[in-house]
Amino acid sequence: MEYKRPDTLKKTPSGFCPGCMHSLATKLIAEAVEEAGQKENSVHIVPVGCATLNLVYWQGDILGAAHGRAPAVATGFKRTNPDRLVFTYQGDGDLAAIGLAEIIGAANRGENFTVVFFNNQTYGMTGGQMAPTTLIGQKTTTTIYGRDPAKEGYPMKMCELLSTLEAPVFIARYALNTPKGCTDAKKGLKKAFDIQMGKGGFCFIELLGNCPTNWHLTPLETLDYMENNTVKYFKPGIFRDKYKDEVK
Amino acid sequence: MKKTLVISGSGGQGVMSAGIIIAEAAVDSGRNAVYLPEYGPQQRGGTAKCTVITDEEEIVSPLASKCDVLIALNSQSYSKFKKAVKPGGTLIVNSSMTGQTENIDGFKIINVPADDISSSLGNIKVSNIVMIGALLSSGADIIGKEEMTKTLVQKFSSKSGSADINLEALNAGINYREK
Amino acid sequence: MAKELVNGCIAIAESAVRAGCRFFAGYPITPQNHIPEYFSHRLPEVGGVFVQGESEVASINMVYGAAAGGTRAMTSSSGPGISLKAEGISYLAGTQIPAVIVNISRGGPGLGSIQPAQQDYLQATKALGHGGFKTIVFAPATLQEAVDLTYSAWDYAERDRNPVFILMDGCLGNMMETVKFPEMKEPDRNSTSKWNLYRAKDVKRSDRVLSPYFPDAILEMQNKSRNAMMKRWAENDVKVEEFMIDDAEFIAVAYGIAARSAKEAVICLRKEGYKIGLIRPITLNPFPSKSFNKLDYSKVKGFIDTELAIPAQMRIDIQAEVLGRAPIYEYCRSGGILFDDEAVYSNYKKIITEASGNGI
Repeated sequence: MEYKRPDTLKKTPSGFCPGCMHSLATKLIAEAVEEAGQKENSVHIVPVGCATLNLVYWQGDILGAAHGRAPAVATGFKRTNPDRLVFTYQGDGDLAAIGLAEIIGAANRGENFTVVFFNNQTYGMTGGQMAPTTLIGQKTTTTIYGRDPAKEGYPMKMCELLSTLEAPVFIARYALNTPKGCTDAKKGLKKAFDIQMGKGGFCFIELLGNCPTNWHLTPLETLDYMENNTVKYFKPGIFRDKYKDEVK
Repeated sequence: MKKTLVISGSGGQGVMSAGIIIAEAAVDSGRNAVYLPEYGPQQRGGTAKCTVITDEEEIVSPLASKCDVLIALNSQSYSKFKKAVKPGGTLIVNSSMTGQTENIDGFKIINVPADDISSSLGNIKVSNIVMIGALLSSGADIIGKEEMTKTLVQKFSSKSGSADINLEALNAGINYREK
Repeated sequence: MAKELVNGCIAIAESAVRAGCRFFAGYPITPQNHIPEYFSHRLPEVGGVFVQGESEVASINMVYGAAAGGTRAMTSSSGPGISLKAEGISYLAGTQIPAVIVNISRGGPGLGSIQPAQQDYLQATKALGHGGFKTIVFAPATLQEAVDLTYSAWDYAERDRNPVFILMDGCLGNMMETVKFPEMKEPDRNSTSKWNLYRAKDVKRSDRVLSPYFPDAILEMQNKSRNAMMKRWAENDVKVEEFMIDDAEFIAVAYGIAARSAKEAVICLRKEGYKIGLIRPITLNPFPSKSFNKLDYSKVKGFIDTELAIPAQMRIDIQAEVLGRAPIYEYCRSGGILFDDEAVYSNYKKIITEASGNGI
């Protein structure tokens, strides 16, 4: 097997900060799209946030959406283009704060597209403000003494929340701080895409990632931080797998 | 000639459907018609009102201030809208609800016990059609009997038996004469 | 095809279907509920898609997604819902995706009233969202006009790669009137095939990016071309009804349902010898400048802005054309209170008498 850069990523620098797992996540998605045989057929609904950089990084049809609205945009596109592989790639502010209604609406309707949720517990693009997923005690530019549940509530667990709905067929969370986490994540992504092009149904893949810049840690330090904090609160696992025996 | 009809009653008395049927009959017979409902929150009860305007010519404005004919299906509607009738106009009143209404100089008042008539036919829901019947024999010249019959048959023929009861109600309204 | 008696909302919805609209997303709000209700059963009959969105915000973004793929798409709402759609409408303009948005308007501000009003004129014509874009705004006054304008709306939207807005009050939206529907057009994604994200089977094309985000210099260039587009609208796309204005000393200016009462009053007053006419903008944007500028201002004694809006909103557009050459009077109601023909007539008469008495 040849290890190479996927064709689905342009041969330009990603624009993501050094050590940021957005690059890793985007590469995993690109590989999964290609392995699912959907290279020419994919439509990437790009959100607002750091992932907006995919507008110039991703090779394929791209539709840029307003902040939080990617699942609504994907609904409109996929319903009128049912043969295309449609996925959104959204950050935690985009998906779990301003776009909460859109993600729950789309999941509850069981829309046949895939949502990839990159959870790095902060607003990266705007400079490190508190996200709905920011951990308790985590310092951000809008919680300079650390997130206080008495004022800011608790980090939102989106996989768990969406698992209360009937319609979604595949809901899973992976952490990208270990090689195993990455290979599992890619399997999950591939499975979600296969479901979309086959049996159909709403799939939600959460990828736990980092933000070295706004966490004020080196990339290597973020790996330990994730192991000791992020993964303890957001437990990786498969929350829903309707086609467990049919789609591997 | 431009003719304006106001129908009013309480929600559930078939005010709006009576208005639509009359407008449809006018259109079926080749005239122009506007049906203007007053809408509110979708709740039961309260006053329902609609205006129907018919004309051979183009209907410039549907926002007529006064009407030629008022069909009032209950007392509130009668008191509220009788002032909106043009001098010389016609008021057709559901006397089952209002009791016998007094004559007003310069107006033609027709009392029709529409609820009693429709009940005797076995379906109180067709009171509005009884009132349309009364409109046809009122001399108000808004719609002809044949036109209305045709429209009713067309509209209700798909529902089993409902064309019959509606036609019975229409004829009962047409033939009703005040004692 | 024979004339039919239809409700205003259904007139728009059926005409949209015949224009090839195959996607609708919307959210319930009075007085436009007949539109989504009709689409919900009508679109599946013609192979189209109806989605009841979780919000106005979601609905406009669903339209954005569907239209990006070359499907003719539409949403509708009323005042408060249009405010919520503002972001999405701006994105349609920014990403240059054509779609049609309908406002069956009601009294405001805030929750306001569910009764008919014309209080969204400024929103519709000046700022449907952030960023200083505009759209063509159609304002039908009869249901036949609503049918015809809706039928043509996508042709304008696709020509310009810009949304088209239809502003119609709740009175027209809920009344029934006779209309003749145009013939059914087959939906065809080829009309937008130069840019849309649709991929026909076995047709190779390069990858496409439809992005709402641009580098500064490109964005400025696009804004300049938007500016040029608006100038072309003013030159080519104005629709207006001018009624008895040639010798008029007083000219009523009204659109939508208000214009019908205004016209009735003009007809009555003409019979009494008053020299009065009517300018009825059918496109609120582009505003019918020429109708005002061709007038002989040595004869015109005044304009009567007639709107279901207090404060009057169209007034600033009238002012911008009249430029102080004649006084502008107002007869307005708002908050959900409709005009009635007699009141418009008597107020016009009063305005004319007082203005003439003042020696104007």
